[in-house]
Amino acid sequence: MSKSRFTALYCISLGIPFLLLIFPLFSIGNRATPVVMGMPFSVFWVIMWIIITFLIVLALYRIDPDKDEEEAN
Amino acid sequence: MADWQIAMIMMIGYLVIALIVGVMAGRGHDKNSLDEFTVAGGGLGLVVMWFLMGGAVFSAFSFLGAPGWAFSKGAPALYILTYTAFAILPWYIIGPKIGKIGRKFNIYTVAGFMKKRYGGKTLPILIGVIALLASIQYLATQMKGMAYIFNIMTEGRIPLWLGALLAYGIVVVYVATGGLRAAAWSDVFQGLLMIIISWVVGLAIVNQIHGSVGEMFTNLVRDNPQFLEIGNEGSTMSGTAYTTTILVSLIGFLMWPHLFSKSYASNARTIKKTVLVYPIFALFLIPLLFVGFSAVNVVNPADVGAPDEILPYLITTVLSLPGWVYGLVGAGALAAAMSTADAITHSASLEFTDGVIKNMKPDLPDKTTLFLMRAGVFVVGGLAYVITVFGGQGLIALLLGAYGSIVQFAPGVYGALYSKKVTGPAVITGLIVGTFVNYYYQLVAETTPFDIHAGILGLICNLIIVIAISAFSQQKSGEMAEKYRNIG
Repeated sequence: MSKSRFTALYCISLGIPFLLLIFPLFSIGNRATPVVMGMPFSVFWVIMWIIITFLIVLALYRIDPDKDEEEAN
Repeated sequence: MADWQIAMIMMIGYLVIALIVGVMAGRGHDKNSLDEFTVAGGGLGLVVMWFLMGGAVFSAFSFLGAPGWAFSKGAPALYILTYTAFAILPWYIIGPKIGKIGRKFNIYTVAGFMKKRYGGKTLPILIGVIALLASIQYLATQMKGMAYIFNIMTEGRIPLWLGALLAYGIVVVYVATGGLRAAAWSDVFQGLLMIIISWVVGLAIVNQIHGSVGEMFTNLVRDNPQFLEIGNEGSTMSGTAYTTTILVSLIGFLMWPHLFSKSYASNARTIKKTVLVYPIFALFLIPLLFVGFSAVNVVNPADVGAPDEILPYLITTVLSLPGWVYGLVGAGALAAAMSTADAITHSASLEFTDGVIKNMKPDLPDKTTLFLMRAGVFVVGGLAYVITVFGGQGLIALLLGAYGSIVQFAPGVYGALYSKKVTGPAVITGLIVGTFVNYYYQLVAETTPFDIHAGILGLICNLIIVIAISAFSQQKSGEMAEKYRNIG
């Protein structure tokens, strides 16, 4: 994978969870009920997407073509 | 021994350890090297870098402000989690690139980065001045947090001026002697301390008041469901305000000189790995939000001076916790404030020296520059202290305006990284207009159009101006623009 394609993939795959956490899409998670794992749905929604984001970044790092680059200077 | 005595002994013990860690970290490295003082020789490792970035976010605001937001505003406090988790992510892409540009052209500040690309002296001087004022504002908030925590945990026996002087004095000493490396190692120690404290004490408070987190929220959902939603009837913040607040914090985050300049202090691989593990920092903040929620319907807001005082209030007044918990929370809050203050004091001194002094008086030898930066640590520290303790209203308004203006660096920075069309005059005009618009809506106007955050309004104007003027003005630094764009 080329560097520019990776950058595009990075922006898109992390942009999606971000958009789900701001309006207008945040409306999906913006409710007090049901209570999930002891938390109101809005709180659960934000924490869930942060954990998913964390997993996405981990996956992206694994396929990053430049992750082991040594600098030329 | 009385609770306050135990607390005071623990907090002073903490300060002594913080001083030793800070001073020791700087030892064994070249004291006369400009490179060492500014970017720790470009060789900070992963764990240190992670805490350095994390410590800067875990500030007095997260320790005192996050519970305060949850207590007084409810669900909008979630913005803190969202922005902390996402704000670092662009660094994965731009951090290594900024680092390479910095090493190639020997740059260690935001002002230097902009000067090299856009030329001229106006822009770096402007950036140096805004960065200095904004940093002083940031420091004043941290120092108020430190002074306040000392005061309340010793039940009023240590006055505000003394608490601020003790805690911040130590920061100034280790930053001036050890530079970035001292700040970084102190942050590792302080970061660990506040993470442990926020989880242990935070969850203990929730359990003591409500039995468990689940029970607390079940009650809250039953009694005031609107409190856990945003922008609906009965909520405390509109959807637009919530979204634009997240956006402005997110875009502004990496523009802060103390974070931007960390790109120079590490290689691409460390930067990427730092980003990788960073969202966990957002999760560390969760118990602090829970503490705020736990006080809703338990504490009458009128009894607490300000929402930010809810955590100490719970500990000292509502719950009868033993003295060593006072001490632990005191130390944790001090750690949070100090680990932010050290990085900011360091970078404010760098930006001002590099942006303003070196452009007014070029051809300074490295040795003098280093001396100025070291002396600058004391000057910045002294100014921030005097303003915190004696500051007047007009001055505070000026600083608040500057604080909101950091995000206005963004068009210039991204323009430098990815465009060869953006020109110096465009960036300067955009920065001035954006700052002005932000200033107007933040401090003069009562409301903003559509409830959009003042910083975003400024940024929109800024961006339009940068694009428009760049289209009509001649690119004078074409060669450098090409180099910036192609690196990385």
